[in-house]
Amino acid sequence: MEREMQAYQCTQCGELHHPLHYVCRKCGGRDFKEVPLRGEAALLTWTKVYNLPEGYMRPSLGFCIVEFENGLRVAGQLEVDRPIFGMKVRAVVDVVREGVGEDYYGFIFKPAQE
Amino acid sequence: MREVGIVGVGHPPFGKYEGSLMAMLCEAAVAALDDAGLKTGAGHGVDQVLVSSMGASQVNRQTGVASALVDTLNLRPAMAETVENGPASGASAVKLGYMAIVSGMCDVVLVVGGERMRVLSGWEATDFVATMLHPEAEYAYGLTLPSFAGMFTRLIMAKYGVTERDLAMVSVKNHQNAMFNPAAHIQLVPDLEAITEDEDALTINPYVAEPLHLYDTCPVSDGAAAVVLCALDVKERFAKRPVKIAGIGQATDTHVVAEREVPTDLFAVRRAAERAYAMAGLGPQDIDVAELHDAFTILEIVEAEEVGFFPRGEGHLAVRRGETRIGGRIPINTSGGLKAKGHPLGATGVSQIIELVRQLRGEADGRQVKDAQAGLAVNFGGFGNNVVATILTREEE
Ligand SMILES: [Zn+2]
Repeated sequence: MEREMQAYQCTQCGELHHPLHYVCRKCGGRDFKEVPLRGEAALLTWTKVYNLPEGYMRPSLGFCIVEFENGLRVAGQLEVDRPIFGMKVRAVVDVVREGVGEDYYGFIFKPAQE
Repeated sequence: MREVGIVGVGHPPFGKYEGSLMAMLCEAAVAALDDAGLKTGAGHGVDQVLVSSMGASQVNRQTGVASALVDTLNLRPAMAETVENGPASGASAVKLGYMAIVSGMCDVVLVVGGERMRVLSGWEATDFVATMLHPEAEYAYGLTLPSFAGMFTRLIMAKYGVTERDLAMVSVKNHQNAMFNPAAHIQLVPDLEAITEDEDALTINPYVAEPLHLYDTCPVSDGAAAVVLCALDVKERFAKRPVKIAGIGQATDTHVVAEREVPTDLFAVRRAAERAYAMAGLGPQDIDVAELHDAFTILEIVEAEEVGFFPRGEGHLAVRRGETRIGGRIPINTSGGLKAKGHPLGATGVSQIIELVRQLRGEADGRQVKDAQAGLAVNFGGFGNNVVATILTREEE
């Protein structure tokens, strides 16, 4: 099944949010519509974390904060060998945490060109 | 407005506690009552008890902790509430105690902060603390507080030239200070070269969340700390001269860290400090000693800038010059800080305030800052989304 992540656009002023807020940060509006959040983003910062919680069967995991072309900044997992400030990464939606009963899907950022 | 002071402090050693959460809280509480010269039993004089704990319900499966404490100490029928504001719970509880006295509802408030964390493994503790992050946009990804601290550190390093060695210097300084604090959890001083330059430095001091190493992060500790607050108009009831709560400021920031307008700023620290300074009628130049929330070494440096001790981007230069050591221009984390004293979440804010009280009373022994008149504490919740700053001053006879 194709999974998609969403941004939430204020129907009153157009401000984009991710995740969903109950009230628009810009105009105070309370009505939002979903817009797909996908494509390329610029890498703002990253880390590699060791000693992960049980369930992550690997020695380390990359995390990052990126900025999408629409200006939205989000955090996600990072799968890039040699990260560089500002490099283009591609948003892929996949399992980011295996849950009991249901897995959780989110952003995994990968190199832009493959 | 009614003025408020601190007349009693209790701070048993942080580390590994063998008894129950309740026993640990009681030990700190009784020490603070004794220090204030208050008796237990009938006529104790405590109007309100506030207990700060982040994890009592989740980690220790106990709720209604303040009500239980009041009964265990036989302080009934004092009013009681448990306060949860993440790792800033301690300073929040002191703030609420201050408000209770200023409002006129109470004359005497006992604040007890405590956390029994060592029942958890290291990653369980990290995972528990991560529950204060955004559930969908952060926590679900496996993001933790060290993850955000690592990403923040990378930005600060790139923007201002802070090095891993600068961070290690903060760590070594705080460990050195802790050697003079019998209540500190970690009583050893790492060698700066051994944890940075030496061949096996990465074995002794491995990465936790790049570019942060083990020695950049605080340990998991049990601990409790307690203070007795009173209205200055009833100070004659107490054995000790009060240290005055001169200013309190608090501010919030975005829950989701990625949404911060300037990712290298700690806005809530700056705003909380500004509010505390305004209330106290003081500025950063008036502060003689500070306890800053160094859950990660990078935070001590950036918080020091946000509260106005150093220009932005120059905090690490002050560390290199030794300005934040005891004997330096503005000693920071004389208690050993969270790094070496330990960080039992709900106890931390209270513990920071106790260190300032000791400094301002002149009771800090080998770590005493000479002639300290005013102190600032910053207690940092979330990854900086809820911050409380407290200013204490020494009262003249
Ligand atoms: Zn709007």
